[in-house]
Amino acid sequence: MSRIIPASLTAALVIGLALAPLAPAQQAKEPPPPWKQGQPASMADSMLAPIPQPPAPAAPGELQVDKIKLPPGFKVSVWASGIANARAMTWGDKGTLFVSSRVAGQVYAVVDKGGQREVKVIAKGLNLPNGVAFKDGTLYIAEISRITKMPGIESKLDNPPAMEVVYDILPRDLPHGWKYLAFGPDGKLYFNIGAPCNICIPPDTHANISRINPDGTGFEYFAHGVRNSVGFDWHPVTKELYFATHARDWLGEDVPSDRFDIAAKKGLHFGFPYCHQGDIPDPEFGKGRSCSEFAAPLIKTGPHVAGNGVEFYTGSMFPAEYKNRAFLAQRGSWNRTQKIGFRVMMVTLRTGDVPKYEPFAEGWLQGDKIWGRPVYTKQMKDGSLLIADDYAGAIYRVTYSR
Amino acid sequence: MRSLVGASIVLALAATIGSPASAADLDAGRRKSEPCAACHGGDGNSTIPGTPSLAGQPVYFTHWQLIKYRDGRRKDPLMSPFAQSLSDTDMADLAAFYEAQRPRQRPAKIDGAKVAAGRELAALHHCTSCHKPGLVGQQQVPRLAGQDFDYLLKLLRGFKAKTASDLDGTMTMAAQPLQEQDVLNLVHFMASLDGE
Repeated sequence: MSRIIPASLTAALVIGLALAPLAPAQQAKEPPPPWKQGQPASMADSMLAPIPQPPAPAAPGELQVDKIKLPPGFKVSVWASGIANARAMTWGDKGTLFVSSRVAGQVYAVVDKGGQREVKVIAKGLNLPNGVAFKDGTLYIAEISRITKMPGIESKLDNPPAMEVVYDILPRDLPHGWKYLAFGPDGKLYFNIGAPCNICIPPDTHANISRINPDGTGFEYFAHGVRNSVGFDWHPVTKELYFATHARDWLGEDVPSDRFDIAAKKGLHFGFPYCHQGDIPDPEFGKGRSCSEFAAPLIKTGPHVAGNGVEFYTGSMFPAEYKNRAFLAQRGSWNRTQKIGFRVMMVTLRTGDVPKYEPFAEGWLQGDKIWGRPVYTKQMKDGSLLIADDYAGAIYRVTYSR
Repeated sequence: MRSLVGASIVLALAATIGSPASAADLDAGRRKSEPCAACHGGDGNSTIPGTPSLAGQPVYFTHWQLIKYRDGRRKDPLMSPFAQSLSDTDMADLAAFYEAQRPRQRPAKIDGAKVAAGRELAALHHCTSCHKPGLVGQQQVPRLAGQDFDYLLKLLRGFKAKTASDLDGTMTMAAQPLQEQDVLNLVHFMASLDGE
């Protein structure tokens, strides 16, 4: 950096910092790239940066599936590979697995043909199409600023129909603009509108979980103060919404923690940007606010773990105690010198007690090296569990037998 | 490239596709780069104004650009059809070949005052946060040092106009505060770097 910042500018910057030690380093300058925004002067020399997405999926031989550790009785194998940037998954009525991606810009259909998986690209060149949901024969796709649908797609996988617009007036901001998309028990489509920054006072239209009717009418905010939730599910019995949230960066190695929350009713505020992890006021935006104003996290899931997928288990293949447990897929940290996450955790909710939070699948992180990033799970009809890995472009299948 | 990328060459290239995905192969990349040489230079250093040099570009950058040409997110009359014939393995081999080539600064009429102004702008706009000190690039982020003047100008104007293809929106956002004079100054600065 010293090479291109003239001495005079450096001096001005240093003086500015000395006068306002809590202000972000770049305050007097143009905004930094989104991932670096909110970085304090004390971390200006940090080499930490987001982990780049490999352009192509890993070859089958590069998938170190034997490194994945599971509880006794569970086994894991590669179910499908070569799916660039595979992310969220949803089932069609006729057994097609629809798979989203983010930077690959594609949506895939995976069909099981006699024990072999065939992968078809059904849409490409899209704008970070992270959200896929399926209902009544129609696939819904969420990009940055719009939700579209493909009616009757499952019988036209080789000749996909045009994408019809459901709703296209969502914010166009790219930071945290990619969406998780799912149908709630009320038949409405739920999705996130993330904060367009690492840390900022977001516009009223951002940092929430929202919902619309599947015909595009009835837009409303459901949960507020949610920095970015790209994974949620409803409890199979209580039908309440549970969601994971990524916490802000550049506050330190061990804070703040990501969260796992319950939004039992509409309208709750979960603290962003004023309060992190339920008990840490933001050093800049928390002044004059109190953490007690906001809903506290159900679980602090760990600093920088990047909790994505949330899914309650309803199958019967796994042992009985797995019923109604939540699987949390954690894509893993970048804003931490010691990597953390890169695993699937599980949560057992207990009446009158704190939830139990423990590992289910680990091993994508070996020492300081990663070979994959588990990002979403999806239960199969037979009760086995699929895990999508967007880094390696693969989907694994976890089975159990006693 | 117009004269070289005939149907026969595209077919020949297509014939190499289908080998199993493996670690990128420099020799294969050199072979597969033959159709690219007319525009981008045999060693990835182009001599055609407006055409970028690929020598020294990070593997991820070149590979991602080819993917975007193939899926239509980035468009160019020559590159878009060319990319249609490439497999992921071809792209990985080409990207590895070009990264291994030594980049040479492209000739340009550089204005010292504009370079100085551009250097300050580069600091103000955090260019080195992603492009690294010296603007040599890394990972999916391109090398800008010594790149072709006209190409840099076209791209940066495109990001400002929100028409240039962007992997994740970072450059489009970064370019919004720039005025035309800023764009020119930045391009003078980038073109002036030899990247050594």
